[in-house]
Amino acid sequence: MNCTRRNFLIGGSTTLFLSGFFPKLSFASMQKKNLIIISLRGGMDGLTAVPVIGDKRLKKLRKKLILEDVLKLNSDFGLHPKLEIFHELWQNDKAAFVHATNIPYTGRSHFDGQNLMETGAHIPYKEKTGWLGRGLLASDIVGKGLAISLPMPLLLRGVPQNNNFFPSPDFVETKLIDQIYDEFKGDHNELIKSTLDTIRQRPLSMQIATDSDDKKKLAQEAAKQLKDQSGPRVAVFELDGFDTHAAQGGVDGAHADELEEVNEIVKILYENLGQAFDNTLILTLTEFGRTIKQNGGYGTEHGYGSAILMAGGLLKKSQVYTDWPGLKKKELFEGRDLNSTIDSRAVYNSAMSMCFDKDPEFLRREVFWGDDLPDLTEELFKI
Amino acid sequence: MSLNFFRRVAFGLSPIDKKPDDPLPWALSQLNTVPDLLWPGSIPAEKELRKKYGEWVYGDREVLRKKFKNDKNEYKKAKDDLRLKTGERYFELNEHAIRHYQTKFSQQPVFERFWLFWGNHFAISEKDFLAEFSTGPYQREIIRPNMVKTFEEMVHSVTTSWCMIHHLDNSESVGPNSRRGLESRDTINENHARELLELHTVSPSAGYTQEDVIQLAYIMTGWGHKWSRKNLETGDVWFDQEKHQKGEKQVLGVKYKNDAKRELAKVIHDLATHPVCIEFVSTKLCRHFITDEPTVEMINPVIEAWNKSNGNLIEIHKAVIKQAFKYNDTTHKFHPPEIWLMQLSRMFDLNIPLSADRMNYNFKSRPTNRQRQLSWILREIGHSPYRAKQPNGWSDVEADWVSPELLLRRFWFASVELPRLVKSENQLHDFIISCLKNNFNNYESMTSLIHQFRFGTTEKDLGRKFGVICNLPGVLKV
Repeated sequence: MNCTRRNFLIGGSTTLFLSGFFPKLSFASMQKKNLIIISLRGGMDGLTAVPVIGDKRLKKLRKKLILEDVLKLNSDFGLHPKLEIFHELWQNDKAAFVHATNIPYTGRSHFDGQNLMETGAHIPYKEKTGWLGRGLLASDIVGKGLAISLPMPLLLRGVPQNNNFFPSPDFVETKLIDQIYDEFKGDHNELIKSTLDTIRQRPLSMQIATDSDDKKKLAQEAAKQLKDQSGPRVAVFELDGFDTHAAQGGVDGAHADELEEVNEIVKILYENLGQAFDNTLILTLTEFGRTIKQNGGYGTEHGYGSAILMAGGLLKKSQVYTDWPGLKKKELFEGRDLNSTIDSRAVYNSAMSMCFDKDPEFLRREVFWGDDLPDLTEELFKI
Repeated sequence: MSLNFFRRVAFGLSPIDKKPDDPLPWALSQLNTVPDLLWPGSIPAEKELRKKYGEWVYGDREVLRKKFKNDKNEYKKAKDDLRLKTGERYFELNEHAIRHYQTKFSQQPVFERFWLFWGNHFAISEKDFLAEFSTGPYQREIIRPNMVKTFEEMVHSVTTSWCMIHHLDNSESVGPNSRRGLESRDTINENHARELLELHTVSPSAGYTQEDVIQLAYIMTGWGHKWSRKNLETGDVWFDQEKHQKGEKQVLGVKYKNDAKRELAKVIHDLATHPVCIEFVSTKLCRHFITDEPTVEMINPVIEAWNKSNGNLIEIHKAVIKQAFKYNDTTHKFHPPEIWLMQLSRMFDLNIPLSADRMNYNFKSRPTNRQRQLSWILREIGHSPYRAKQPNGWSDVEADWVSPELLLRRFWFASVELPRLVKSENQLHDFIISCLKNNFNNYESMTSLIHQFRFGTTEKDLGRKFGVICNLPGVLKV
């Protein structure tokens, strides 16, 4: 990598001069805009997904994790060969990446980190709601969240009547649901009551019975609903297994398998959303990146800075958006991790602002306690 | 006294359980000894199953992959055969049967609830083939016998168990200044050290730093499986001096002098008796048995019992039960799916697990659908116990278990699947009423809800009865 950190410093401060926010009310913005978050649990290695090209230090520290056949993005960054759909979309300005980014959490614990990536807060377990849930609530978008998982992810909590979809093996009679609903009327349990409300309002397409192991089918069904103009506006996917302490590998190792799953979901969404893909933004979310150096088991340890993978027609252009901190020992966080120079919450705040047609300043205050998160909407998204 | 105490601290009363006259002494008397496992079928030893684990990974990695490197399909076929031969598809099913048989028939059901608690506190999450071969026996052989010892002894056993060491990669950890480290330039793996602090003992509220994690990892270097060409990573746990970081270490302000394998017991002593650890674990116990957000008043007596008994788990358990009894009628606790299933199984004498005879396995063909049934149900209701997604185990708070899909799964189980588990002699309406009477003070209002279906005994009728009964507010929680 021959560029220096400064060459990459774009955006951020320049946009702070924007004094107001005026959503364009063109025909395009009348279309429902979808925001899809894919949670990558375990700590996604940004340097495996979007490796820097030609960095000698990285090569030296990761002898057993070297990537061959990297897909080329630009002169400085490549893409993991398993992320081929992103590469295809990149050619049409429909994929982009934010690099050297993370939530402002440096503690390296999965559980604290995952809690914070979902709450968007600073102290683990303190907040009981997710930034996406609060963003929806602040934007008056209720009952439009869809989680593709069995438990409701913390990320979506905070706004009532979200749905989750993970088909059961058989049907449940509507009459039974109504009866249980009646029995809970007098109960003090608000959470169950609002959950039962949601169940009663589920669209017919969600009352199917199928094999919930089939991630492909779930993604297809999610795409079908997101395509529906009156369907959900937000969807959350969950993937785990990124915690590759051992046998991380290069092109074919354990981390590659996980990236392949991300690729598969994005591919299915792309193929099934059709035109709606142009009004969709897909972002990944992870708790931290991984150490630069490989460990004794040819894996990597918990680190700090990672990358956000983005896809969808709502992106401004194909780019690797970064304020690259460098990989020299003194440039690393605590001498061991890729640093984070962009608070990833700024990306998520800007994404919500664009997808929900809300002022980023307003969301920043409502969702992130007024934390100092620059507006990146102009740099990253179509507005 | 509210009958729900029997579900709060146990699994409710079965049709043959005698109703205890005095619930509190009944519960307290169950904690002094480790009850035998009652399962009449096979209960293989951890070591035996680890050998199977070894046969499976060795056979796949060292034999089949090389032998069939040019033939993907033949490889797949041979691998499937190896699965059957080593029981890779079977042992977890058997472990679920052992576990559920115990919670259904144990005469010390309160002890069994604590067993579930500790197994989840020291959780083994889904990784490699642990759920297939090792997590079950770990629960039986490591967690269970330690439940009448001290917390410190429990932590030590867990930390040096093959299962936890493999789960958290400690065998991969090498002290950089150890002989091996200097030679190979390998270094530490912090995973186990971090979880020992964060999840098993002091929790993040102790305010440890990254340096504390590193130092603890140094102390733990050398503890790992004994690797061999034949057994690969399934060898016994030992202390390998060659990998151990030399020199003094310091964790949470306490210095540990260079003392090889003895360092671990010393640091575990300090962590397991740390006031923040005591508060953290006491709070978790109260959360499990009393309510999601236990108050200081609820927790304090448990902490006192802990201090007074020097961490004796029998005394700690008794203090928890006393608090659970005291707050029984004024608090609510929502039960996760597996405990709910165990309670339904005990209260209504359901036909799970499968009989030990029929659970027998021939190591030649795929396990039958009936053999897989219990495990399948557990997975479908979202709570396959030995497959927690992360090392912090399954959540113990309601918000994590209430979602449209998870509730629908319960409705589905109670109305569609459960009727198939009702024994033919138990299908009569009167039997169901008597079970309700055993376990619920408001059994009359429950009865009136299913009165309209009283004459029906078809699967559909039973589904209508159980669908409602099992999902009432007072059944989903206590």
